[in-house]
Amino acid sequence: MFEELLEDIAQKNELREVNTYLKLMAGLGAILLCLLSSSYIPPLCIAAILTGAILFLARVDAKTYTGLFILPLWFAVMSVTGIILITGGEGVFWRWDLLPGFSLSITRESINHGVFVFCRIIGGMSAMCFISLTTPMTDIFTALRQCRMPEAVIDLMMIIYRTIFILMDQVIQIYHAQVMRLGYSAYRESLHSFAMLCGAAFIASWDAGDDLIRAMDARCYDGKFALLGENRPVERKPFLAVVSFLALCATIMMVSGTRSLL
Amino acid sequence: MHIMEGGLSWQWCLVWWVVALPCLIYGVYQLKKVLAADREALPLLGVTGGFIFILSSLKLPSVTGSCSHPTGTGLSTISFGPWITAVVCAIVLLFQSLFLAHGGLSVLGANIVSMGIAGPVAGYALFRLLRTTSLNVYLSVFLVTALADMFTYITTSLELALAYPAETGGSISSFIMFLGVFALTQIPLAIVEGIVLALVFKYIIALKPDILIRLHIFSEEKIMAARSNI
Repeated sequence: MFEELLEDIAQKNELREVNTYLKLMAGLGAILLCLLSSSYIPPLCIAAILTGAILFLARVDAKTYTGLFILPLWFAVMSVTGIILITGGEGVFWRWDLLPGFSLSITRESINHGVFVFCRIIGGMSAMCFISLTTPMTDIFTALRQCRMPEAVIDLMMIIYRTIFILMDQVIQIYHAQVMRLGYSAYRESLHSFAMLCGAAFIASWDAGDDLIRAMDARCYDGKFALLGENRPVERKPFLAVVSFLALCATIMMVSGTRSLL
Repeated sequence: MHIMEGGLSWQWCLVWWVVALPCLIYGVYQLKKVLAADREALPLLGVTGGFIFILSSLKLPSVTGSCSHPTGTGLSTISFGPWITAVVCAIVLLFQSLFLAHGGLSVLGANIVSMGIAGPVAGYALFRLLRTTSLNVYLSVFLVTALADMFTYITTSLELALAYPAETGGSISSFIMFLGVFALTQIPLAIVEGIVLALVFKYIIALKPDILIRLHIFSEEKIMAARSNI
């Protein structure tokens, strides 16, 4: 029912010990370059390099990574099909006037645009996967606190983070119990079971949250969670790698200009 | 229902961030006020955040760089109003993109506007309206949740339509196309989510009605009336 959380992988990947800011710089920089590029080539290069980094440097299981990409890829294919059909433009290959004032067409321009959006999605997804597979959320909390994010928001983030795992456990247990008792045998039945599942999980985690606040109060909680906040030092090799990666992608972006497929 | 990473050009990403930021800042201001008044609200906020996360992780595919799933924002909207919900949603959306590779970072602004602002604001307006009437608690919860869901889906369609106008008819005809495509999955989902949340309220009212009274969500008489029906 629920996918494996990327957080579990992030906690034990090989790049775990690299400085958080370096990893964020690589990921966010790649996302930015993907967005700024006006050709389909740079996002593809970014995707290739980052996929290599995820598989060979972070040593994430190839099967997990492929599984992660299948669903977004499916969305991307469908979105690009939609975009190609409605964009229109010069060099018409096929055209269908569906309704007066609304027509579907496949043109050279629309294919170029579609391929470009597709590659941008692939590049962006791989950059996001790079961040989520190499950087655990706890490291991101530390980084956010250092970036002067309001304390109330960080506290709320940490409580939500904690609650997700409590809820997840509860939900999985209750769900299995319900399945065993044929709770999802018919549609009406499953609606009821699902609502009961949500209600029970909600009340249980409310109690857990209450307990948490009481426990925190007993330990002199003053509205600010203590975070260990150790950050690994910036080492020379990873730093050079990230800088040269971004420089390479920026160069590719400059060289490729607005080159399109057709 | 989120737009995925890379689904919008940088101009549109920026536009939606500019729209989302003032709401988030106001939300943080309100959040601080609520926490200063009643620090025990923090666990409930955490629970609603977790709840939104779990509900909106159950996804179904739908075309054009987005997908359909229940949004789960109804509970938080009813309990804390739309602005704090925007902050909770922003956090949940960030977690979703980092935990499940679902949604994205550059398009976070656009997703916050649709799921965290437009839906909850519409839902909350309806909730305020219904609270003064004598309408039964469950029906109010159902209507508010379903409306919040529908508005989220309409806003996402608008965001996509503005970014990808059709050749003939421009953004308006692509808006209609996106609406039509999402309607297949989103209208049934909105109804199902409304029913589920109404049933969730039934369990909360039966087992822990004091939560609702303490948060001034519904008046005591209304909850007692609902309780006597169980």
